Amino acid sequence: MLWATSIPEGGARADLEAGTAELHLRNICSVLDTFTVPNSLDPTRPLGNPVSAAIDSLDIEWSGVTRRVLSFSDPTNQFAGDFVETSASIRLAVRTLASTGHGFRFVSSATTAVNFAQIGRERNGVFF
Amino acid sequence: MSFSRRNFIRASAGAASAGLVLESTLSKPLLAAEAAHRDCPVQPEPIPHTIATPFGTTIHFFFPGPVEGVDPVTGHDPSVITNFRGVIGEVEMAFTGTGTDLNTGQSAPYGFDADVRFMRGHFVAADGQTHRGAFAFI
Repeated sequence: MLWATSIPEGGARADLEAGTAELHLRNICSVLDTFTVPNSLDPTRPLGNPVSAAIDSLDIEWSGVTRRVLSFSDPTNQFAGDFVETSASIRLAVRTLASTGHGFRFVSSATTAVNFAQIGRERNGVFF
Repeated sequence: MSFSRRNFIRASAGAASAGLVLESTLSKPLLAAEAAHRDCPVQPEPIPHTIATPFGTTIHFFFPGPVEGVDPVTGHDPSVITNFRGVIGEVEMAFTGTGTDLNTGQSAPYGFDADVRFMRGHFVAADGQTHRGAFAFI
């Protein structure tokens, strides 16, 4: 699944100086559940079309600074800013609606492992 | 059960470089199917950088990593929208938990990799105007 959507501004915040951030989402509907990575990348596959799903809850908290990259600038990719690598904790409950015939619900556990986490204040494109 | 979007795309891209044609006609949406879910009055534009898939589509993002870049497709700009000024958060994780088949009621351990990001701030949208908003990438 590769998917982007507008969310309430109050659902996301970041404090670069403190090295913390939060993302809290509730009842986000119209999620694309295509079941497999190939399905999500190939519109011609039988399950390449969206199937109704919903994020019941997603909570991510960034904290525990491990590295700061300040005043970074990348002219090649046209972005710049201050970035802070951190640890993170995540809780997720997501489901594919039973009405699709592929009903599925996932609830994450505390053992979810974070491979990489970062917050930042950046500008790109015309703001670079 | 566990799968990785990164490993799949990377493995496929490696195979694809041996012969598949990767030109894409999908330049604006992160994915073609996403267009069906656009219900906001203004939409941001994706970053110019693309990663080719073996299916003739392209994805407008970098894999998660340090902003200095690990390789041409990993790290760099964590935002997936361009003409953007604001704060971002990203996390790449290996989820573990419990999956339940809502049709049979059966549950079992389940795992998958995920890359979740948010972008909150000002952006120049497809209408050429500057707007304020927040977006999540999953």
